Amino acid sequence: MARLIRTEKEVEGHYTEQWIVVDEDALDQWPAGPLQTVGKPAPRVDGRERARGEATYTADIQLPGMLHAAVLRSPHARARVRSLSLSSVLAAPGVRAVLEPGDSHVLTDEPGYHGAAVAAVAADTFAQARAALAQAAVEWEVLEPLLDPDQAVEKGSLVSEPNVSERGATERGVSEAEAVVEAEYRTQTVLHNSLETHQAVCVWESGRLDVYISTQFLWGVRATVAEQLELPPDKVRVVCNFMGGGFGSKNGPGEYTFIAAELARRTGRPVRCALTRREENLATGNRNSTIQRLTAGARSDGTLTVLKGDYVNSVGFEGWSPSTGGPMELLYACENVRVAEHGAKLNTPPNAAFRAPGFVEGTFGLECLMDELAARLDLDPLELRMRNYADSDLVDGRPFSSKNLLECYRRAQPHWARREEVRARSQGPWKHGMGLASQVWYGGGGPPSYAWVRVGSDGRVQVVTAMQDIGTGSRTAMAQIAAEELGLSLDRIEVSLGDTSRGPFASISAGSSTIPSMGPAVRSAAADAARQIVEIAAQRYHLEERVLSLRNGHIVSADGGSWPIEEITELLGEGQILGKGARGPNPTGMRTLTFGVQLAEVAVDIETGEVLVDRIVAIHDVGRVINPLGASSQVEGGIIQGIGHTLSEDRLLDPGTGTVLTQTLDAYKLPTIADVPEIVAEFVDRPDEHLTNLGSKGLGEPPIIPTSAAIANAIRDATGANVRSLPITREEMLRALRAAREREGLERTAETVGEVRSA
Amino acid sequence: MKFVRPESPEAAASSLGNGSVALAGGTDLVPMLRDGLVQADELVFLRDVVPRGVQSGRIGAGTTLAELEVDPELPQALREACAASASPQLRSMGTIGGNLLQATRCWYWRLRFPCYLHGGDRCHARQGTHREHAIFGNDRCASAHPSDPAAALLALGARLQTTRRELPVADLYRLPTEENRNLTALERDELILELDVPTPDASVYLKAMDRRAWSFALVGVAAARFGAETRLALAGVAPVPWLLENPSALEQSTPLPGTAYKVEIARALVRRALASLPTT
Ligand SMILES: Cc1cc2nc3c(=O)[nH]c(=O)nc-3n(C[C@H](O)[C@H](O)[C@H](O)COP(=O)(O)OP(=O)(O)OC[C@H]3O[C@@H](n4cnc5c(N)ncnc54)[C@H](O)[C@@H]3O)c2cc1C
Ligand code: SF4
Repeated sequence: MARLIRTEKEVEGHYTEQWIVVDEDALDQWPAGPLQTVGKPAPRVDGRERARGEATYTADIQLPGMLHAAVLRSPHARARVRSLSLSSVLAAPGVRAVLEPGDSHVLTDEPGYHGAAVAAVAADTFAQARAALAQAAVEWEVLEPLLDPDQAVEKGSLVSEPNVSERGATERGVSEAEAVVEAEYRTQTVLHNSLETHQAVCVWESGRLDVYISTQFLWGVRATVAEQLELPPDKVRVVCNFMGGGFGSKNGPGEYTFIAAELARRTGRPVRCALTRREENLATGNRNSTIQRLTAGARSDGTLTVLKGDYVNSVGFEGWSPSTGGPMELLYACENVRVAEHGAKLNTPPNAAFRAPGFVEGTFGLECLMDELAARLDLDPLELRMRNYADSDLVDGRPFSSKNLLECYRRAQPHWARREEVRARSQGPWKHGMGLASQVWYGGGGPPSYAWVRVGSDGRVQVVTAMQDIGTGSRTAMAQIAAEELGLSLDRIEVSLGDTSRGPFASISAGSSTIPSMGPAVRSAAADAARQIVEIAAQRYHLEERVLSLRNGHIVSADGGSWPIEEITELLGEGQILGKGARGPNPTGMRTLTFGVQLAEVAVDIETGEVLVDRIVAIHDVGRVINPLGASSQVEGGIIQGIGHTLSEDRLLDPGTGTVLTQTLDAYKLPTIADVPEIVAEFVDRPDEHLTNLGSKGLGEPPIIPTSAAIANAIRDATGANVRSLPITREEMLRALRAAREREGLERTAETVGEVRSA
Repeated sequence: MKFVRPESPEAAASSLGNGSVALAGGTDLVPMLRDGLVQADELVFLRDVVPRGVQSGRIGAGTTLAELEVDPELPQALREACAASASPQLRSMGTIGGNLLQATRCWYWRLRFPCYLHGGDRCHARQGTHREHAIFGNDRCASAHPSDPAAALLALGARLQTTRRELPVADLYRLPTEENRNLTALERDELILELDVPTPDASVYLKAMDRRAWSFALVGVAAARFGAETRLALAGVAPVPWLLENPSALEQSTPLPGTAYKVEIARALVRRALASLPTT
């Protein structure tokens, strides 16, 4: 029966209340632990296809008569177009159409950041389009850019009202503290740099628009494009079969889709708008830089009495102010907490969601602060965290649907016990040490999300849903879930996804929500199909339905009967069994979060400031793990990306003009394979008994969250230096070491003075 | 754009200039053509005319870095400098001749800011973002020379044979002046043909980078000992490869606010390089 319910939906920390209609069998969760297929390592079902170059990405789409677009972008951080003439562009070889500000809402004549789109051209080849753009005659009025985030906050240049939240009384918390640590942390701007650059191919046919796009949300693109172009959503079809990385930056259609759509409309031809690597480094979003002014206070036994955070997010010209204070509010059982977040509006490229936006930055500050506090209190950092363990959500008093962070800490103990051994490896200028940091994040997913399951007469199964696999292995996980429910082997399941005209609505792949949103829908569709198979079998074999079940490709009865499933499906002939499933509601009145801890072992050359990460152990609690192999790849990917954030990646600007200086991958330094340490991934793997028919949460984002702080804390352990600014370049490392030496010098002087006095 | 394959070094050299540009492995030149940093109507391909390979201390300028890094005949410093350069893909294409003549990586220059080196009247890096820039010879242009092998060859006292003359590698480079903003002394129609590399008693190359591979030197230090004399040369510290008279010359450096850390790194690497050279 269709049920109308009111539920909460959370994506990356944003909660919305909504009505939803769900049509779901209330299925009991499977027992915990590895099952037949679910919980066992499964190689990617599309691995071969991808490795052989057969998988079709948006970048591979070639349509007859397709034109190529190029975009004229502002070379200035803030400017006005005094005059723009595209007549020579239009006259250039191969050019079919041009767009200028006014022709599309994504083009502007008052660019507010370096890289803002101003005009566009479509030509027969991309080289012609690029060459034609060089003919554009633009007269700029260059204006003074606002680049300093603190200055922006002072002036009130904000993207939204400051977000201030307080619980308890922080003044009292400070006065009750026996040790107080105050520190300023900074994180840099980092870029997604997806391997497949942002792109779309648009084609109009009989008033219908087809959009082939590299995206994390087919249905979001469909809705936004339809709304903007004033089309009924059914007239927009969105396709993405394979996707070369997004990390949060491909949640919406982006300017390139609207440029391609408008040029396609004007020329009557398919148009590709694919950004270059340089444009990828300018105009596709970023993880904004932050300034974090933090305070922590505790009693001498380690009990936190106060946490305070004043955050400035350098959002950029547009975008939103992420919840950098989130970890401070959620992670510890501290009664007095005050968080204030300011989103500075600047003449810099807009931010975009980036793998746990806000929490990656905020966890760096908070978890470094906790270690500085532990040092002040002379307490073991792991002990300090356990003493402040939060048993319920202190923000609004809700119980957690499940929380096994304590179990993560317990499993961390044997690794943590290596600390002495690791330190003892120090030799000459190389100092070794170990650090840890905790992780909290959302990742519970939510409705609506739907799936269908089709069983043919050959006993093969197709899962049909218009979701996307953004490279995280969702196809494989969905196949595993359907296989498990139907008692079939994985090779009998196909997953059809990636096309809004071929399947029902499916969730966004952001906010670690694909598995927890889509998995339960696929399971319920498979269960619906299984139920029908059993019904048919009951009639065929003259048995009661309740004694029949599906196992190992067979229909088995309680009294020991067993028939290959094909015996039943063969009866269908051309017919099919159709199962329908939906994602049920989230548990009411509960908070669903993911948790974890990471431990880093590092070596620091104190003479040259070189930092080597030797080993990272990651222990995460994300409920039931569907595919341990896929899960460990997510952890490895998150940690490698986290190492880039920590040590080398930095989008640099010219401080005078706001020009982006690092536009290519030799200047913007992603980690190389040589920078990857040994990575150990462990999972608690306990289903969340309140969450859906699976008990699974998402894992896309958690692994990147604690990496930077764990490394920084390991550096402190190794050297005594407080690194407080990312990336930890040689310069930052040497600065922190110098500061530590000076502090030690002062302390020694103070001690000597003290000794003299007491003598 | 035309692509020509000349028959002799002389023919190649004489065709250069006036829109004709020499192309070796293309790893630096091709991106610069694409970015409009170099204009060319004609590419003169050097593969058939510039020697390639190593023979008794003489290196063909067309030898790739990948070939040099594994040649047991060559001094350790040069092999290590080649191996520490760029990536395996780039080293398989990039030649030593092209490496010595690669353009600066200064981001302002690469983004075509009208800076001093481009003929303008100021250095944008000085007041701007300059963490990768110079600590020596930086009063006009503060760029940092990107070549690792050049520092090794400078410490080794290598000599170059061009289509016109023979010269020490030190003389290939010059600091820019008001009248002449070039960083090399090569004529426009002159080709490097060979390098003559003396064999030291011992040599070494050490490199500090932002990550473990595929990264230009923040500081590179080459040391080569010939009998009682040890020569030191640095990469990444000045607009040209920099000969360091002695370790204490580092105290005369003129770092920018954002490059002072390089002095500290250089001190450590110089100390380590010297310590690592076996004494007789
Ligand atoms: C991403 C990246 C990273 C790199 N990292 C490093 C690094 O860490 N360390 C390092 O040392 N280098 C590094 N390099 C530079 C690389 O080693 C050089 O690009 C390469 O060696 C150049 O050789 P080529 O044969 O490709 O030269 P080309 O690109 O063909 O030519 C370069 C220049 O030299 C001229 N030229 C070439 N040969 C001759 C000749 N025989 N006579 C006269 N003129 C000639 C050309 O006209 C051109 O101006 C890097 C390059 C890139 C792109
Ligand atoms: S360092 Fe040299 S190349 Fe860079 S901006 Fe200054 S003058 Fe130009």
